[in-house]
Order: sequence, then structure tokens, then C-alpha cells
Amino acid sequence: MATDPIHQFQITKLIDFGVVNLPLIGKTDLAFTNSHLAMTVAFAAIVIFLTIVTANMKVVPTRTQAVGEQLFSMIDDLGESIIGHEGKKLFPFVFTIFSFILAMNILGLLLTFTVTSQLAITATFAVITILLVLIIGFARNGLGFFKLFVPSGVPIVLLPVIVLIEFVSFLLRPVTLALRLFGNMLGGHVALKVFAGFVVALGALAAGGGFGLLGIPGAALSLSMVVALTALECLVAFLQAFVFAVLTCIYLNDVVNLGHGH
Amino acid sequence: MAEPHTETIKHAPTVERAAENDAQTLNQQHKAPATSEATEAPSSGLPQFQLQHWPGQIAYLVILFAILYVLMSRVFAPRIRRIFDEREKTIGGAIASAKSVQAEAAAQAEAARQSLADARAKAQKTAADAKAKAEAEAKASHDAQEAELSAKLHAAEASIRVARDAAMGNVSTVAADTAHAIVEKLTGAPATGEQVSAALAQLQG
Repeated sequence: MATDPIHQFQITKLIDFGVVNLPLIGKTDLAFTNSHLAMTVAFAAIVIFLTIVTANMKVVPTRTQAVGEQLFSMIDDLGESIIGHEGKKLFPFVFTIFSFILAMNILGLLLTFTVTSQLAITATFAVITILLVLIIGFARNGLGFFKLFVPSGVPIVLLPVIVLIEFVSFLLRPVTLALRLFGNMLGGHVALKVFAGFVVALGALAAGGGFGLLGIPGAALSLSMVVALTALECLVAFLQAFVFAVLTCIYLNDVVNLGHGH
Repeated sequence: MAEPHTETIKHAPTVERAAENDAQTLNQQHKAPATSEATEAPSSGLPQFQLQHWPGQIAYLVILFAILYVLMSRVFAPRIRRIFDEREKTIGGAIASAKSVQAEAAAQAEAARQSLADARAKAQKTAADAKAKAEAEAKASHDAQEAELSAKLHAAEASIRVARDAAMGNVSTVAADTAHAIVEKLTGAPATGEQVSAALAQLQG
């Protein structure tokens, strides 16, 4: 069971509160699981990092401050280039999503549990994003929000088809947001675990002596694959967080600047 | 690793075959409660689809997200934004002061150039004035000397003319005396005054 590449995604209860009767939700099986622990660690890491960065800020930044400012201005510039002037107001939301996903992805490489490989988590991020898009869309444009599905300059004949396509693509946005992050994290960590399992299995074979010694080159190859994949996963961890932030900005821009052209 | 797999996926077929192979069914029924995963996830291999773990995770994430958002929008973003503004202001102020200093330097250089040009013009004017004055003085003294010299020249010329006239008057007397003496030496007899003056008149004419 130790070499099962899927086992790393198993939720295990660390502290079980048993079935609790909550006021709004009703009877729920409440527990503090390894997923909750990893989320807490990611949350604490962000808060501690940003506290250190912003505690004693100077006009000429220290190294830590420069790193924090770099991340900050990267997302800030992203929001401003995609959304425009309104991007500043939405910045805290985009930066919260970005830093939370980035922290979870990186901690997934360092700890034994990857929160962002849980579909429940990525779906929640996606739903929060799309809910904000809907809220801003209706708050700013009222029923004009539905113009989002009617691109200007489309021939009347094609309009029903286009509207249908636009509507379906809008409905698929949270799905793709959730599945992209989930799939990347799941695939990367399964691949890592599979190659790491090969190292152990082939090493055990070599320990038996005789023809089993042929397992040593295979184990070495697998180990180098693990190292290479870890480097790749570091890139993916950052990239997926960034992609999520970019798409959040693009979806928010659709409703913030609706009808103003792009 | 292989056993749970067949258990989860091929559960239904094995139940159908139960009558044929009692031993196998018994074996699996014994094992089924032992592996908790199989009972919790009867239809899927991925733990991510064990829906009983979803509400707890989602609720916790939403709470953490809300707290982080509030912290981000109330504390961290304003702090970083403030230092960005401060930096911009500092740089802007430094650039502005540098520009003003530069402008001041340019103005001073211009003033220096101006005063230099003024001084040069003044010096040139002074030199020109001095030159003109000297020239005028020289011309005046030159004219005075020339007038004086020409006056002297005229006086000298007049005295020369007087002297020459006087000398020319004496020449006829000398010529008559000389003619008397020559005639007396040659002829032994003195010539008369009328004869000599006639001869001289003849010569002069």
C-alpha cells in the first residue's frame, strides 16, 4: 500500500469531532483532517510571510521585502493591464487567490499532502471566483450582464448559435478553472510518486543480489526522473497559481468593463 | 495493491458468481470490512471523489479564504501600496529637486556667460574709446606740428627768396666790376660805364 500513487490523496481524520448538528447545515461529520492541516499551514505561511514583508517596510527594500513586493507588483500589474484602472480595487481578491494557491502548491511539494490536488478545494476556488464575477456583473450592469452572451457585430442569423456557445462557455468556466488546477496537481504528484516507487522497488530487487543487481541502473534512472519532475513541479506550482490569477482577472474584466470594449 | 482493486471494481460480477464459487465470496466478505477505503469509496479509485470529505474542506477553505481576503485588503495591500506611493513620492521629489538644481545651475551659467559678455563688450568699448582718444590726440598734435612746420617753411622760403633777390641784385654789380677789370687788363685802358652796362644788358637779354 505504501507504493500506491493514489494513497497520497487520501483524506485522513486527525481529530474527529464526530457527527455534529450545525445550525444551518444540519448533521455533519465534523473532523480536522490532513487537508485542514495543510490548508492551515498554507494560510499561516502566507500570513507570516506577508507580516515579515510588511512589518517594517522601507523605501529602499530589504531582500525579503523585495521578494514580497515582486509578487505584489506582479499581480498588481497583471490586474491593471487586464482590468485597467478598476484592477486596483479587485487586487486584494486576485492576490488572495494567487498567494493561497501558490502556497498550497509549494507546500504540496514540501509536505506529504497537496491541498490543491483535492477537487473539493479547486472547485471551491473556482466557485468563489465565478460567484464574484456574477455578483460584480449584476451589481454593475444589472440585467445588462446578459450582454456578456451577445457579442456585438454578430449577424442576426448566427446570433442564437453564438449566444448558446457563449452561454455554455460561461458555464464551463468554473469547471475548467477547477479541473485545470486539480489535473495538474494530481498528475504531477502521481508521476512523482510512481517514479519514487520505482526507486524503492528496484532498490529492493537489487538488495536481493544476483540478477536483481540489474535494478540499480533502473533505480538511478527513476531517481533522476524524480529530481527532474520535482523541478518541473516547482515550475507548475507557480505557473498554475499564476494562470488561475490571470483567468480570474480576465473573467472579472469581462463584467467590470462590459460593453466598454476591451 | 491488486486485491482492493478487484474488490472495488469487480464487486458486482463476483456477487453474480457467488453461487458458483462460495469460497471466493466468503473470502471477500471477510476482507471487505477490514479495508475501510473500499467501504467508503465503493464506486471510485480516487480519494478526491469521496464526497463525505467535501463539506468540511469547503467550509474550512471558505473561512480561511475570507480571513485571508480581509487581512489582504485591510492590512497587507494598503501597507505595500503605501510604501509604493512613498517610494514614488521620494523618487519624484528627488527628480524634482535634481531638476530644480539643474535649472539653477543652468541659470547661473547663463548669468556668468552674460556677465562675461558684458565685461568683454565693456572692455572692447574702453579699448575703442582709448584708441579713438589717442588717435584724436595724435592727430591734433600732428596737425599743430604740421601747421608750425609749414609756417616755418613759408618763413624760410620768404627769407630765401629775399636773399636770392639780394644776391641777384649784387650779381650785375659784380659782373660790371669784373667786366671793368677784364677790359682794363686786356686793353690797358679802362672801359666806360656806359659800354659795360650796354654789354651786360646785351648778355642778359
